[in-house]
Amino acid sequence: MTVLRRLRRAGGWFAATWLVALVGLAVTAPWLPFVRAADEKVRVGGKLQSRYRLGPGRHALFGVDNSGFDIFARCIHYARNSLLVGVSATVIGLLVGGALGVAAGYFRGWVDRIVSVVIDCILSIPALVLAIVLVSRLDDIRQELPGLGWVTRRWQVVAALSLLAVAPLARIVRAQTLALREREFVLAARSLGATSRRVIATEILPNLVPTMVTVASTGLGLLIAAEGTLAFLGVGLGESWGYLIEANRRRLDKAWWATVFPCLMLFVTVMAFNLLGDRLSRRFDVREVIT
Amino acid sequence: MRYALQRIGQLLVVFVVVTFAVLVAMRLGAGGHRELARRMLGGNVTDQQVDEAVRRYHLDSNYLVQYLYWLKGFVTFDLGYSSANSMSVAKLLAPRFWTTALLGIYAIAVGLLLAVPAAVIQAHRRDSWIDRLGNVASFIGFGVPAIVLGIFLQLAFSLHWHLFPAIGDSIYPWQQFGAHVRNFLLPTLTLAIPQAAIYTRLLRADMVATLQRDFVVLASAKGMPTRRILWRHALRNSLLSIVTSVGTSLGGLLGGAVVVETLFDLDGIGSQMVISVLSRDLFTVQACVAFVVFIVVVVNLVVDLSYSLIDPRVRMARALA
Amino acid sequence: MTRPRPLQTAGRPAEGPLIELTDVRTHFATERGLVRAVDGVTLTIQRGRAVGLVGESGSGKTVLSRSIMGLLPRRGVVRSGSIRFEGTELIDAPRSTLRSLWGREMAMVFQDPMTSLNPLMRVGEQIAEPLRIHLGQSRAEARDTTIRLLTEVRIPSPAERLRQYPYELSGGMRQRVMIAIALACGPTALLADEPTTALDVTVQAQILALLSEERRERNMTLVLVTHDLGVVARHTDEVAVMYGGKVVERAPTAALFRRTRMPYTEALMRSIPTVDDPPHTRLAAIPGRPPDLVEPPPGCRFAARCAYARERCHAEEPSLVASSDDPDHHYACWYPVGTVEPVALRPADPAAVG
Repeated sequence: MTVLRRLRRAGGWFAATWLVALVGLAVTAPWLPFVRAADEKVRVGGKLQSRYRLGPGRHALFGVDNSGFDIFARCIHYARNSLLVGVSATVIGLLVGGALGVAAGYFRGWVDRIVSVVIDCILSIPALVLAIVLVSRLDDIRQELPGLGWVTRRWQVVAALSLLAVAPLARIVRAQTLALREREFVLAARSLGATSRRVIATEILPNLVPTMVTVASTGLGLLIAAEGTLAFLGVGLGESWGYLIEANRRRLDKAWWATVFPCLMLFVTVMAFNLLGDRLSRRFDVREVIT
Repeated sequence: MRYALQRIGQLLVVFVVVTFAVLVAMRLGAGGHRELARRMLGGNVTDQQVDEAVRRYHLDSNYLVQYLYWLKGFVTFDLGYSSANSMSVAKLLAPRFWTTALLGIYAIAVGLLLAVPAAVIQAHRRDSWIDRLGNVASFIGFGVPAIVLGIFLQLAFSLHWHLFPAIGDSIYPWQQFGAHVRNFLLPTLTLAIPQAAIYTRLLRADMVATLQRDFVVLASAKGMPTRRILWRHALRNSLLSIVTSVGTSLGGLLGGAVVVETLFDLDGIGSQMVISVLSRDLFTVQACVAFVVFIVVVVNLVVDLSYSLIDPRVRMARALA
Repeated sequence: MTRPRPLQTAGRPAEGPLIELTDVRTHFATERGLVRAVDGVTLTIQRGRAVGLVGESGSGKTVLSRSIMGLLPRRGVVRSGSIRFEGTELIDAPRSTLRSLWGREMAMVFQDPMTSLNPLMRVGEQIAEPLRIHLGQSRAEARDTTIRLLTEVRIPSPAERLRQYPYELSGGMRQRVMIAIALACGPTALLADEPTTALDVTVQAQILALLSEERRERNMTLVLVTHDLGVVARHTDEVAVMYGGKVVERAPTAALFRRTRMPYTEALMRSIPTVDDPPHTRLAAIPGRPPDLVEPPPGCRFAARCAYARERCHAEEPSLVASSDDPDHHYACWYPVGTVEPVALRPADPAAVG
């Protein structure tokens, strides 16, 4: 028992440390002396190290790629995109999904029916398929409709991933709200004549926070994985771990580092968020599993 | 029977709403219907061809009419024209369907083969080191992104041990069985491991609860061997959660198939969809999405209806309803 | 009709001790500490007798019956003492030894027939299972035996029941099926844990009558766990009254009712309504709550709720001793019923005062 508990705690600490370090590095990368710029080619003694000439080592921690770019530097710089996209999509997912879920669970009736059908529909499309189609369609629509020049690929990815986050969050929040609605303290507040807005704000929302935080944490891991996957498929961002994997994977036999290190970055980051979610779910005793 | 019809109705609504939304999304923002037709046909097309396409797909009508004609086409396997491949979408997708279907079936089968024994043993030896090991394994299996898992498997099995080809080829079992197995093994594993993790988690939790129920204690008191108690009494009662988990995780499986087919260069619906998205092949993308949603809806219906096969009480309750 | 006489009972000695318990302790490790559910029980159960284990809920009677069977959770259980079944020590016996006894030598009927049958297995298969596995009967033989067993426990149209699922049967029918399962391999001892608590009153009497009848016909040992002294009076030869994990009074049933010695037993008896009571008689509930089994009080465990308790009762624990005028009647009490006058109760919960 204690061994397990210690192991779990160690996992939580590892996750927190990794995430703090990653965020720190990603944010301060431009000013760090040991991190090259993302588009700076590696030279040793004035000689360009292209064509995967350098493996992991002193001159380039994770080796170089075909053009001579530093894999380590790119992994650190590109972390910014993964984190930014993941966090933005999660925040939007929490706001929109939370609002839809509370509305459906609290007011029931036709609101609930519409929200439920929408959730069912979104969940019936495999998440990745939905994201691929959305991002690519947004590409075209952005060009065709006027006034959308400010929208970048990054926002398209955020929009697509938010939709993925909204559906499961809305479903869980709806279920919880339905249950909370019938609990004594909520019934008491309602029978005392509190307005719906007041009941939701003071009685329902505070009780939803643990679940939402927990689900969002694990969800963040899944969304970052999805961001990497979109980039891997060529539908996402070019400055992404997933893109590094796609660009180098056919040379796995010759230069494993160029593929494996971005893979590890993605893997460890996703696992860190999952570990965090796991810790939180134990802490708050949240049982819902998102699949 | 009434329940079945009700469920079919619900799933039909989902299918119609989703495919309609996809159609609108695909055809939105093209300017005019001739412009849309030009885009759907791709490349250099004559005015005459554009006119024909407008007439054939009713592009000058509103989306609802267009949808009804599309739906009619879907039912009769007339899925439109693939601009990137200059052939009918049905012809393009038919062989690719088998790759994806086989991959999916293999992944579910292998996933269950891994998950069921693991979950039964874990539940039986709860909190032992083997249970903890299983929990850690399924935690990692659940979280690992498909790309990462696929790359690692390629690295280990084809580049390090030279056992299987890293880059596959869609060879079917009826063509060359040995080559089929070699080519499909790593993609199957990449898909199966996350599935196995999900199945194991759900089944283990269900089995732990089942093993504490009175009828399991009674089976013990009857002097039944442990193996029989686990597999015959307890597992049978946890079967619902296996079937449910297969149904609910199907979306993840199909999403994974997109990645795996691309990663291992298999010609399936998933990899075709990515190619078509990148080449703006609207008819093909629409058909792929509709097809995938159709599979999800049908499998969920089958899962739902199979409950009554598993649990006689459900059968009874529905007979009364 | 002639009833089948299972082969197993042939050639068994008809008398002598069957189950011998010596200082049996079953403790459960919980977050609060060690719960002493059964705390030093010494008891001998003779062959072919019906023995009642009586007490309130939490007295340890159910845990004791499960301890005899060995049906305890795998983890968090601390056991000591000795349980001998036909001379075989069971306390630290390997699971395989227990499994060879379960169903064949000892069988159990559980409290709740609603949850104790496998909901997804046909009734026939649930009864046939031990027959096929323990007695090696063929499918056809097992089917015949099952039908005979169902007839024996008075289930109408047994051949049709075989194909039914438990949810298709009433509670009473299910309990009969449970009894049929327990009787299937002709066990030497049958442990029935509150077999009628979950049933309608009218069905209760039928089930108990069935159990008694089977016991007599098969010369089987019956351990009947119940909180109901009325049931004990009609269906047992001997009674052991349990309180706080211990046996506090043990006697032949007739003797116990003729001359109750332990104040707890007396209190239990007063809480049963009788037909002779005038209408609207207030039933005497036992005040207070059962003792804390994590930190049991020093003296007699019943002292806090006992109307006769004196200083000594709170300080020194009485042991189970034979009565001077009846060597078969044992009780654990410093001041048995009839020796002192009742006094005002001390506050039941010392914590509330201190």
